[in-house]
Amino acid sequence: MIYSFCFLSCRTQASSESKKIVGVFYKANENAALNPDFMGDVETALGIREWLESKGHQYIVTDDKEGPDCELEKLLPDLHVLISTPFHPAYVTAERIAKAKNLQLLLTAGVGSDHIDLKAAAAAGLTVAEVTGSNVVSVAEDELMRILILVRNFVAGYNQVVNGDWNVAGISYRSYDLEGKTVGTVGAGRIGKLLLQRLKPFNCNVLYHDRIKMDPELEAQTGAKFEEDLDAMLPKCDVVVLNMPLTEKTKGLFNKEKIALMKKGVLIVNNARGAIMDAEAVAEACSSGQIGGYSGDVWYPQPAPKDHPWRYMPNQAMTPHISGTTIDAQLRYAAGTKDMLDRFFKGEDFPEQNYIVKEGKIASQYQ
Amino acid sequence: MAMKRAATSVIRTVCGPVVADPLPISRSLHASPGSKKIVGVFYKANEYASMNPNFVGCVENALGIREWLESKGHQYIVTDDKEGPDCELEKHIPDLHVLISTPFHPAYVTAERIKKAKNLQLLLTAGVGSDHIDLQAAAAAGLTVAEVTGSNVVSVAEDELMRILILVRNFLPGYHQVISGDWNVAGIAHRAYDLEGKTVGTFGAGRIGKLLLQRLKPFNCNLLYHDRLKMDPEMEAQTGAKFEEDLDAMLSKCDIVVINTPLTEKTRGIFDKERIAKLKKGVLIVNNARGAIMDTQAVVDACSSGQIGGYSGDVWYPQPAPKDHPWRYMPNQAMTPHISGTTIDAQLRYAAGTKDMLDRYFRGEDFPAQNYIVKEGIVASQYL
Repeated sequence: MIYSFCFLSCRTQASSESKKIVGVFYKANENAALNPDFMGDVETALGIREWLESKGHQYIVTDDKEGPDCELEKLLPDLHVLISTPFHPAYVTAERIAKAKNLQLLLTAGVGSDHIDLKAAAAAGLTVAEVTGSNVVSVAEDELMRILILVRNFVAGYNQVVNGDWNVAGISYRSYDLEGKTVGTVGAGRIGKLLLQRLKPFNCNVLYHDRIKMDPELEAQTGAKFEEDLDAMLPKCDVVVLNMPLTEKTKGLFNKEKIALMKKGVLIVNNARGAIMDAEAVAEACSSGQIGGYSGDVWYPQPAPKDHPWRYMPNQAMTPHISGTTIDAQLRYAAGTKDMLDRFFKGEDFPEQNYIVKEGKIASQYQ
Repeated sequence: MAMKRAATSVIRTVCGPVVADPLPISRSLHASPGSKKIVGVFYKANEYASMNPNFVGCVENALGIREWLESKGHQYIVTDDKEGPDCELEKHIPDLHVLISTPFHPAYVTAERIKKAKNLQLLLTAGVGSDHIDLQAAAAAGLTVAEVTGSNVVSVAEDELMRILILVRNFLPGYHQVISGDWNVAGIAHRAYDLEGKTVGTFGAGRIGKLLLQRLKPFNCNLLYHDRLKMDPEMEAQTGAKFEEDLDAMLSKCDIVVINTPLTEKTRGIFDKERIAKLKKGVLIVNNARGAIMDTQAVVDACSSGQIGGYSGDVWYPQPAPKDHPWRYMPNQAMTPHISGTTIDAQLRYAAGTKDMLDRYFRGEDFPAQNYIVKEGIVASQYL
């Protein structure tokens, strides 16, 4: 157990004074007005401005988060709460934490707090929390979509259509049904389990690897088989789905060697975190055909630069980071963020599952 | 000729009342002994043909039955050249006995072609969907038409679910951004939704429709279906789908509409401007059934106006779709060529099913009953 004694007075308790709350969100520009339920953009700012200001707090939002002269840097020295999302993450480094003398609380409007130096946050006595569960259905649906896109070779067909072509063979020579294939999920937590439930009617051979074995009833319900050894599971899979957080242990885990262990032509879905993969190893494997298809919505860094190799490698079906920021998910994480702010102001605890760093301790999944 | 006609009328009397007109020429249901000329029309694979040993559906691999047919003394000619009066197919029509075709590259068997094909006895669809054949003319001419019923059902159901997710989660604008060097999450997220909780209606709940409903169940949607026939109560309970007797009443409730009917006289052009206007604004439509069920221009107009928020399918009219088919260039589309029923797995099934029917044909045996589309002058009920 990592436990740092809070020699600075713990920054966890809110007093009743006015707080400076900063939110970092993606910009919507002309898209902001297109949907009244569009919560997650900087223009709508989770829909909590009125509420916060009515309580006497200051709420500043920006999308400008990179570099020493950015808007976020200017706000660091006196902010109390920093809200950020995985879709446009504010990288909260040890340096930024040291600068933020008033900082008490880091909230992730969404799921995944690896953009924060969690050890530094723990050492500084900060609380880090996210809206656990807000994205789980969204990401599970998105993963199943990507599995089908890859196995059925959808993108090749779409590209023919927009290019004026018609060449069925150019798609069907490597288009398969999902039925009967072996699908392995690396990680079977909240999202992994929902994916397995959605996979069930497809009649695949479903495997899972996790630190923890599932309840027997859930295993029976999903038909998934436990694989204790990751490297033993990988060579069996036609399709591999990543469903674990980015931690010291998982960073760069899928490197050239691990990719070489998999079946030639393996299909990989990664909506977890880009940095779990060795970016260059993925690009090479897609080019050689060792990876037959790679689809995901996560990159390192985010936003992905114009020249990120995953944009231009063959066999890819990538998107920007969107799976957990559907309108439905935005409504959930906006509500969950508001709830935690409310509890923070009142000095109440958050739902237990939301804590990533609390009183110097880092949640187990990040250790 | 008179003997054949007499035999035919005896068969009709024994079998009971018949819907079709008297058969002017009786073309025996089964092969007479002797070598047959079998013609197959398939799509060309070129360099892809050798990339996968299981790629049986292309003209180069010709369902993998050449050796078997030739060892039995039959002639097997395959081509992808099927359009126009001077095409390869036209040259073989006068004397072929059996014509095999697939929906992915269909040989349009018109009344004129049937008339020309004096030896023709059997039309086989390697796949599912025989609307590329003038079924009334085939019935009148005493032909047998059969397809490999069931060979595509899992394939198409999976493909439909994929397209539902592609549309509701707004996948393609995201993909476009990636390959254009962009990053604009809001440009996708402003109209990306979870499937959970949405209302999905299937127009048609036959083999494919039922498998789709089973795959939809864990997504926790509101599932509706319209069909000529109501499902068994156990199946309804299993899928959670609710029967909607009135199609237009169902359509007005749907966030997502999936087409799962064959192309028939009744369904041709059924989704016209008026019907599309009654759908929810921004409705998402998945059509892996047949292109001609839709009014082509009405779909284009609706995608352009936003009345249709997303249209995805693998079927067009005609096929191959010409370079300038408007569905290629309309906004809000997620189209592909006709591929859902020709995955490698489906190809293996329909190749095996076609071989089985040829074998029965040579032996004078019946096909599985569900495979018949036209038999002894009667057109199968789903096409009436």
